[in-house]
Amino acid sequence: MRFIQDLFKFMGLEGRLHLAWISSAEAQKFTQVVTEFTEKIRKLGPNPLSGKNIHPFGDTGNSRAGKLESIQGGQDASAG
Amino acid sequence: MDYKFVPSVCPYCGTGCGVLFEVIDGKLVGTLPNKTHPVNEGKLCIKGWNMHEYINSFMRLKQPLVKAFGRFMKTEWDEAIRITADRFKEIIEKHGPDSIGVLVSAKITNEENYLAQKFARAVIGTNNVDHCARL
Amino acid sequence: MQAQVEQWLKEGKVDIFIGYKNIDGHVLPHFFTKENIDEVKDLVVGQAHYSLEKVATKVAVDHPDMKIGILLARDCNQRALHVLYVWNQLNPNHIQTMEAFEASSDLEQPEVTAPYKQKMGLGKSMLPKDVEAFDQAERFSRWMYEFSKCIKCYGCRNICPVCFCKECSLEHKDLVRAGNLPPEIPIFHLVRAVHMAGRCIDCGLCEEACPADIPLRLLYRKVDEIVQDVFDYKTGTNPDQSPFSVLGEKVVLEPTPINE
Repeated sequence: MRFIQDLFKFMGLEGRLHLAWISSAEAQKFTQVVTEFTEKIRKLGPNPLSGKNIHPFGDTGNSRAGKLESIQGGQDASAG
Repeated sequence: MDYKFVPSVCPYCGTGCGVLFEVIDGKLVGTLPNKTHPVNEGKLCIKGWNMHEYINSFMRLKQPLVKAFGRFMKTEWDEAIRITADRFKEIIEKHGPDSIGVLVSAKITNEENYLAQKFARAVIGTNNVDHCARL
Repeated sequence: MQAQVEQWLKEGKVDIFIGYKNIDGHVLPHFFTKENIDEVKDLVVGQAHYSLEKVATKVAVDHPDMKIGILLARDCNQRALHVLYVWNQLNPNHIQTMEAFEASSDLEQPEVTAPYKQKMGLGKSMLPKDVEAFDQAERFSRWMYEFSKCIKCYGCRNICPVCFCKECSLEHKDLVRAGNLPPEIPIFHLVRAVHMAGRCIDCGLCEEACPADIPLRLLYRKVDEIVQDVFDYKTGTNPDQSPFSVLGEKVVLEPTPINE
């Protein structure tokens, strides 16, 4: 985790990866963590990989950009 | 075990990057770029990196084939050229000379390219000459 | 040096010796055997930089008992061999090395970077700390500029001396679609970077093979830094270290009887 976070930081995608261990019995903690992280991501701004921002010179016309949004940006893992 | 590195040139496009073929016991198994070649200086595109795959492919043609009775039949070069010439004549008579197109290549010499377009224009009588690099 | 190689071949200390030979003006890798022992006098070491260890790995797959001699022309060759020993691709008992250091694989300084690349992207002779001088948005746009030039030739992977996976994940149809250019950036290069953690020996062959001049060495150097920092694992220095590193303290369990 630390490795990927450092790598993201090097790339310019800092702070978009978060790991939290939450049991299925701790529903309150889960909502709290998710809300906090969502707010943090909102403040960081939209994922630069989403939409048509893949190519710095404009739209490559690839629809893969939309799919990438679900892989990167605002991620957190919870173990139940 | 006889392992050799044979320097050669990539046959794909007109650039002609230098490659090294890895030849084990007379069979081509791999491709590496030639670092001291002035054209590419050790870099290859994906077609160049995978040359060893198509050279030994079982799908390569070894003899001229003519379609007859719904199947491809093996034939000789003279026969194949004669059949082609006859069919060209038929097509030109029936549909006009512009129904035939000629594709030239980046890998043949300029003189051969000239010959091909001359053939298209003077013999067949069409202006439809195009180049493989556009495809 | 040539006399030594001749002696090794005659004695049978090595079955084949992988070195360089000058063929038509090009210094190319060549196999010297006992059968053509006269060729040994043509053994040269120039500025050529090929991955002889990778060739040895391929030979070892088909002939695991063959004794191979390798010419070490640069300092990265020894590191590559260590990594291959650690990952069980080569048997150290079957490898005999001869040192003939003619060139170093350190970064050549300074490199003249074209003005547009200086403005939009990252130069090849930059160090990770230079990149960290930029802020997040700047870093991202510069890296994306560099990655968007990628033509997915797989040259970086094909020529890497420590890449040996038979099924490369960069060719997995669910990760990288065939027939699409540019590839799924930056995932393509980040996946490769993550796979290079603990394996990259900083030889620079990937950067030399990239037709788009992407500063791969810079990226993999950063990965190496992270690995050293977080896991305390120095790649390529020791042929006996395990490819895994254990964080924290080792716990030894003493066997105790159940009913005490």
